[in-house]
Amino acid sequence: MSLLQLEHVSRTLRSGRREHPLLCDICLSMDAGELVAIWGKRGSGRSTLLRIAAGIEPHDAGTVRFDGRELPCGAALGDGIGWCGHGARGADGIRVSEEIAGALLARGLPKPVAQARAAAALERAEVAHAATLQCGELDTAETVRVSIARALSTQPRLLVVDDPTAGVDLLERDGILILLRSLADEGIGVLSSAGESTALSGADRALSLSEGRLRGSLSPELADVVPLRRRAVM
Amino acid sequence: MALRSPVGWALLGLVIQRPSYGYELLQRFERTFGDALELSSPSQVYNALDALSKRELIEEVDLRELEVVRQPKPHYRATAAGVRSYREWLTAQVHEERRRARLFARQLVVLDAEEALAVIDRYEQACLAEAAAAPLLTSEEHQIEGVGGLAGRLLHEEDRLAIGAKLSFVEYARRELTAIVGPQGGKP
Repeated sequence: MSLLQLEHVSRTLRSGRREHPLLCDICLSMDAGELVAIWGKRGSGRSTLLRIAAGIEPHDAGTVRFDGRELPCGAALGDGIGWCGHGARGADGIRVSEEIAGALLARGLPKPVAQARAAAALERAEVAHAATLQCGELDTAETVRVSIARALSTQPRLLVVDDPTAGVDLLERDGILILLRSLADEGIGVLSSAGESTALSGADRALSLSEGRLRGSLSPELADVVPLRRRAVM
Repeated sequence: MALRSPVGWALLGLVIQRPSYGYELLQRFERTFGDALELSSPSQVYNALDALSKRELIEEVDLRELEVVRQPKPHYRATAAGVRSYREWLTAQVHEERRRARLFARQLVVLDAEEALAVIDRYEQACLAEAAAAPLLTSEEHQIEGVGGLAGRLLHEEDRLAIGAKLSFVEYARRELTAIVGPQGGKP
C-alpha cells in the first residue's frame, strides 16, 4: 500500500467569471522512504499540489489517500503528515525551541516530552544552535531547517516540503537536500517541490509540473532502478 | 593555423596553471582530464606540446630562470598570446553549445509534430532522471581546496543548472508543438 496516493486530482482557480485549471487529473503515488521532488515554474501549481497532498488545501475532484485513508478536502494537517511551507516560518519574538515545544503542548503533550521532542527535532535538522534564537534572527537556511524541525517534532511519516532551497545561500543549498535525503533514508516519505532544477538532486524520482500536468515516473513501480549508493562527486 | 585538438587546448590550460615539462604535464593531464579526454598514447602529449610551441602559444623556459638544474628537460610556459587564445577558446565553447542546440532543434522539427512531442517527453524524462541522480555536495566537499576541487564543483553546478535550462526548453517546445497538434493530441 502506498504511503501517499493522489488519484485523478484536479483543482481549478476561480476568480469572478474566470476559471483557471491549475491541476488536471493528477495521479501520483509514493512509498515510505522515498524522496519525490516536483519541479515546476512559478505559477505551475507546485505549491498547490503539495498543499493538497498534505491535506491542507481542498481539491475539486479526485481523491487523496494517506496510508490508505482518504484525506478530507482542506482538513487540518492530519496526524503523520509534516508540512514545511513558506507560511510556516514561526512567530517572531519567541525562542525557536519554545515555539516548537509550544505547538506540541497545544497537541496535548506533557511539557517535558514537548521540550525533549523539540530539542531532538532541532538536533536532527542540524540546527540545534538556533534553539535559543528568535525566528527573526535566523538566516534563510536556518529558517528552512527550523521549519523542517518543527515538522519533525510531530514525528511524521510523510514530510511535505515546499521549495526548501528557495532563497537559500548556494553553499548551504545541498546541505538541506542532504538532510531531506537522509530523512527519506530513515523511512520518512518526503515530497518536495523545486523552482530550480538544482533542488531535484538526491531525489529517488524527479517529476515536472506544467500546464496542470504532472509528468515523470508517477509511481514507484515505474521509477528507474534506484542506486543503492548515491554516486560520489569527482 | 588554428589549434583544433581538444588535447592541445587542455594542455595549454595546464601550462597556464603551472609551467612544467612533458612527463609532469602528462600526469596532470590524466589526473585533471582523464575521465573527459582520452589519450591515444603518451606521445600525443608531446606532439601537442610541439604544436603549441609552433603556434607560439607556449615557449620553452630558460631553466636558469626557474632555478631548475637537476632536470634538464624542456620546461614550457604560456606566452601572452597563449593565455589570450585560451581565454577566447573557452568563451567560444558557448557557441559550440549553441551549435549543438540548433542541430537538436532542427532534427526535432523535421519530425511530425506528434512524434516530436513524444521525443520531447522522452527527453524530459532523461533530464529529470539526470537531475535526480546529480550527486549532492557535502560541506566537506565544499571545502576541498585546489584547482581539482574547485573545477569539480564548478562543473557539477554547471551540469545541474544546464538541466534546468533543458527543462525550460522542454516546456516551451511542448507548448509550441501542442499548439500544432491540439491539446488532445488530434490535428486541429
